[in-house]
Amino acid sequence: MAAILRDLLRHNAEFRIGVLLVGSVLLLSVLASFSPFPPENVYVVPPDLPPSSTYWFGTTSRGQDVFWQLTFAIRNTLLFGCIVAIISRLLALVIGLLSGYSGGWIDRALMSVNDTFIVMPLLPILVLFYFVMRDRMSWLMLALIMAGLGWAYDARLIRSVAMSLKTREFTQTSLFSGMSTRQILVQEHLPYVMPIVFSSAMNNMVWSIGLEVTLAVLGFTDINRPSIGGMIYWANQHTAMVAGVWWWIAFPTIAVVMTFVGLFLLAISTNQYIDPRSRLGRVGDVT
Amino acid sequence: MPITWVPPFRFGIPGARMKSYLAYVARRSGQLVLVIFIGINLAYVISHASPIDPVEQSISAVTSYGNTAPDAIEQMRSSLRELYGLGGSPIEQYLAFWRRILSADFGPSLSAFPTPVATLIGRALPWTAGLLTASTVIAWGLGNLLGGLAGYYQNNRGLKAMGVIAMGLHPMPYYILALLLLIVFGFLWPVLPITGGAAMNLPQAWTLEFMMSVLQHAILPALSLILVGVGGWFLGMRSLVSNVVTEDYVAYAELAGVRPWRILSFYVMRNALVPQVTGLAMSLGGIFNGAVITEKVFGYPGVGSLLVDAVYAGDYALVLGVTTISILGVSIGVFVIDLLYPLLDPRVKVS
Amino acid sequence: MGCIRALPLILCVLFSQLFLLTASGHGQGIPQDIPRKELLILENPEGTVKNAGWFNIWAINAGSQSNGLQQAALDTLWYIDPESGLDGVWDNSLAADKPHYNADFTEMTVTLRKGIFWSDGVEFTADDVVATVTTQVKNPGMRFSAVLASNVASVDAPDPYTVVFKLKKPNSRFHANFTVRWGAIWILPKHVFDKVEDPLRFDFNKPVSLGAYVLRSYDPDGKWYIWQLRDDWPRTTPGRFGKPGPKYLAYVDPGPPEKRVIAQLNHQLDVVHDIAPEGMFALAKQGKTTRAWFKGFPYAHPDPTLPAVIFNTQNELFKSPDVRWALALLIDIKAVAMAAYRGAATISAIGVPPTGAHPATYHAPMEGWLESFELDTGKRKIKPYDPTVGKQIADMLRPSMGEQIPSDRAEIARAFGRGWWKTDPQAAQELLEKAGFTKQGGVWTTPDGKPFSVRVMVEGDLRPVVTRAGSMIVQQWKQAGIDARIDVAQGTLPTRRAAGDFDTFIGWSVETWGGHQDLSYFLDSWHSEFVAPPGKPQPLRNWQRWSNPALDKIIEQIRTVGFDDPKSIELGREYVKLAVKEMPTIPLMAYNVFTAMDQTYWTGYPTAENPYTNPVPNWGNSRYMFVRLKPAS
Repeated sequence: MAAILRDLLRHNAEFRIGVLLVGSVLLLSVLASFSPFPPENVYVVPPDLPPSSTYWFGTTSRGQDVFWQLTFAIRNTLLFGCIVAIISRLLALVIGLLSGYSGGWIDRALMSVNDTFIVMPLLPILVLFYFVMRDRMSWLMLALIMAGLGWAYDARLIRSVAMSLKTREFTQTSLFSGMSTRQILVQEHLPYVMPIVFSSAMNNMVWSIGLEVTLAVLGFTDINRPSIGGMIYWANQHTAMVAGVWWWIAFPTIAVVMTFVGLFLLAISTNQYIDPRSRLGRVGDVT
Repeated sequence: MPITWVPPFRFGIPGARMKSYLAYVARRSGQLVLVIFIGINLAYVISHASPIDPVEQSISAVTSYGNTAPDAIEQMRSSLRELYGLGGSPIEQYLAFWRRILSADFGPSLSAFPTPVATLIGRALPWTAGLLTASTVIAWGLGNLLGGLAGYYQNNRGLKAMGVIAMGLHPMPYYILALLLLIVFGFLWPVLPITGGAAMNLPQAWTLEFMMSVLQHAILPALSLILVGVGGWFLGMRSLVSNVVTEDYVAYAELAGVRPWRILSFYVMRNALVPQVTGLAMSLGGIFNGAVITEKVFGYPGVGSLLVDAVYAGDYALVLGVTTISILGVSIGVFVIDLLYPLLDPRVKVS
Repeated sequence: MGCIRALPLILCVLFSQLFLLTASGHGQGIPQDIPRKELLILENPEGTVKNAGWFNIWAINAGSQSNGLQQAALDTLWYIDPESGLDGVWDNSLAADKPHYNADFTEMTVTLRKGIFWSDGVEFTADDVVATVTTQVKNPGMRFSAVLASNVASVDAPDPYTVVFKLKKPNSRFHANFTVRWGAIWILPKHVFDKVEDPLRFDFNKPVSLGAYVLRSYDPDGKWYIWQLRDDWPRTTPGRFGKPGPKYLAYVDPGPPEKRVIAQLNHQLDVVHDIAPEGMFALAKQGKTTRAWFKGFPYAHPDPTLPAVIFNTQNELFKSPDVRWALALLIDIKAVAMAAYRGAATISAIGVPPTGAHPATYHAPMEGWLESFELDTGKRKIKPYDPTVGKQIADMLRPSMGEQIPSDRAEIARAFGRGWWKTDPQAAQELLEKAGFTKQGGVWTTPDGKPFSVRVMVEGDLRPVVTRAGSMIVQQWKQAGIDARIDVAQGTLPTRRAAGDFDTFIGWSVETWGGHQDLSYFLDSWHSEFVAPPGKPQPLRNWQRWSNPALDKIIEQIRTVGFDDPKSIELGREYVKLAVKEMPTIPLMAYNVFTAMDQTYWTGYPTAENPYTNPVPNWGNSRYMFVRLKPAS
């Protein structure tokens, strides 16, 4: 395993950059445990100071250190995005593969359920959930609700891939050699589906974090808990952009972008590694 | 001698399968109706579960600035309740709702009484539909074109750079991007209008002046939507194409000397395009949700802000109206795609 | 590979086409066919109006009120100014004189002004006033139906310029319903509404104006309304003061706060209704022609309302005044003012807003009483009032803001307020213990043994300053060992407030005339007869559901005393003393509205030095601004 990682690091530029980016973001979120300020306190440092050697990322209009706030914010947001992505991927995989492979009435039933979920407009439902649940709506609850709403589109995608895989020769071969449905799905189809799962996981994370920011801009966020959406919410309340406090918005944005670019690079470089066909294509490649 | 082998793409179905296809259409239509029915019912239940009482909201709107005597409020409450048609048991209201829907009447809006919900939606929908359709199609087209090229010419530096830019723009929270565009083009270099669907004091008519004004006002919102949307299509297409590129028939065509652009368009892109077309249909169906943040930041008079305002005001009628249109839009989009899919990819058997 | 290279070229060409579309230069929404120097552009804080073509202000929820409809087009009997007024605080608008009551306040006679005409040429007479009352009483569900139905027994017009109201019960302040403080019962045109079958479904489009402006054009999507000065403006009530300066008024929805700042910096928005304090500071710094109410800090115009921490006094925990006082003594108002307004706040310790005529009538004369006020903490007696808090805030800000902060004592008192309660955690502890609370391991517990938890409800995005104040207060209470949490009621605050579904919230239950010393505008509704039992909706304004027999006595006495009677001031001061002792709400500061006025095209705006009216553009009395505005050149 270590040898594989070392090879990848050495030979694959994308992997290197990906590791660097994701590593720095993870480092940031770990640093949150060392923060000298509790994340919810305000007016602990002089407000509105630009980035300097004392306050690396500057301070906000609420008297908080942007750097330490960001550590908490990125940690919470990443956790949120991961939970949504993992749960909704599991749902999408199970439903998509099952539906695409089985066909018949299982397919139709699952697709009816799927379509109902696709069809429900997201924003009013989320807003209504907020109204109804108010302070019982913790971030975990929101993550579960979003996971429950976010699997439908990708389940369809996976299903369409599964449907085309079903007609391939190797599927027929596995069937004739006596593999059960579960074995075929897991051992034969899964590797083809994994690249889609990875890229859709990332899309899903982008989507869930984007939705969190949207809800924050509309004012439906748990303002007691720092998150990227929360930082943008407060920056809005203090009209930071116009007041010239650009660092309050810039650094969280950079952190989010770094996270996703890093994850994406990691995903495509590991995909290239796993996928035997592209490996063959690079035989003879030195870089 | 160039090989003119047609790649595995054919439009249309051979006659023998027409019968099973028609049966499929019938089944799928039934599914469509079922999904719409369930969806609208869910929307009804959820919007009526809202703790916001439209009567209370109206009363507080009236009295928050006024000098209304407290004993008059109870009177106001009962007259409003009667006016809004909120009397009667929940079952009666539910049946009345369905009766109205089936005659395409959403009833009057509760927060903008007595303007019919249909009028409010009808005013906002053209703006939303125009802006979002154009932005979605442009983002799709541009993203797929660039993504396809990037997936095929994997070593081209320019395309790699474009990939990096697309990757960087895609996860950026949309609100930040919109705000940046606002500041750059509205303030630092004020050449583009930043508010409204058309210029002030211009009557809404099919005149050249009005159309030009609409286009002008649509530039910034559309630009922000396109910039954020392109990334997704680009990345999707690129990974799809890089998968297809490793297929046998592509290698065969390359070895046989088929010209690159032919390979790209007929062999690679058309195979990779199918899931993207699915995505396009679903995105187009989803435009009826409106783009709330776009409308908020650029002051664009669309359906998204109508919906959010309706939720705040507890206006069930308007919420249901907008969500019904949205449900119809998305489910019909998915339906159309499901019908076209077997036509586009004949390997798929319509079982 | 050729197509690859062609691609960037094609993209560039396409992109540049976009900019060709913008060759016309003007960046934004300025109407083409109206000269800019004759146009005044104001913000409509109601935002984008859903049913834009609706001008029937007498139906509820119909269209917008502050899109110029109530400011420029409508009129009623009297106006009372939140500041000093053009010619005194009281203006007889459609009425020729003040209202005349009979001895026991069951009858009100009004004499009307002659020579006032509707914009379609029909003269304004007593019939219009009678029609205003009878139409709304006949059609319950109109905006003022309930108020009129519960007060008016009959209304008569013995001659075309006299109206006699016979009231159902004695009410010495009935005329307040026809007196514009922000809005009031607007007079409707009899000749139009007579032809209407169902006034609740009548859109009144195009509206017939009684004020000095008529509707010129409007956006069906609700983003802008343009009004034009009537040619026969001398036949309207503002005409007494001269010709209104702007020929055209445009009320627009400029969008979120950042865009309002940008619009004003681009000179495309003359009057901003409200922005965050930071936006105001940015405007003051960058906009050379921007002017706010105060020349320097704190810039904002203090509205005659009083944001306070409002307790739900029907809640077991907050029944005792000792608990309420303890929570008040834990608040450091300096930090709250900094958090909410960056210090640009006018604090007030008493239940009267520190604005308009009130500082002279209530705040200044009661300083002595406040300084000697004693509180019994159970262990000792303390004097909690600190008269220097306003000055302390000024001193805190002077290092970073420099000369913008006044140094003169009277100016500081005007801008920042006078004193407030000293932060005294020790006294707070003693008071809580007196009420039966105990501190176990640094956490306060109630007499029932449960942890003392308080939720502070705020409105979130809709009132950002109040939300910020709430966050600071929660932090201070937490530091003292109370489990305090903020509860954002985005959009649901009005419903929850009325239902009593809260522990505390930051809002206001005190609103006054501003320019006039009478407190009955809010105080009357605090009588215990209006307090709803727990679980039932509470009518405005006694959100704290406080009932107190001493308060009832004061209110009943005010009801028997005339509007302008100086005795009402004495009774008002009695209320202030009672509210200090009982602390049903913790008054914080005036609601500062950061109205910004651009002097590029117009000058003569009302300011703190020249407070002839309220510049906040959605107030009905802002129409007095129009007669004083002159083109800047």
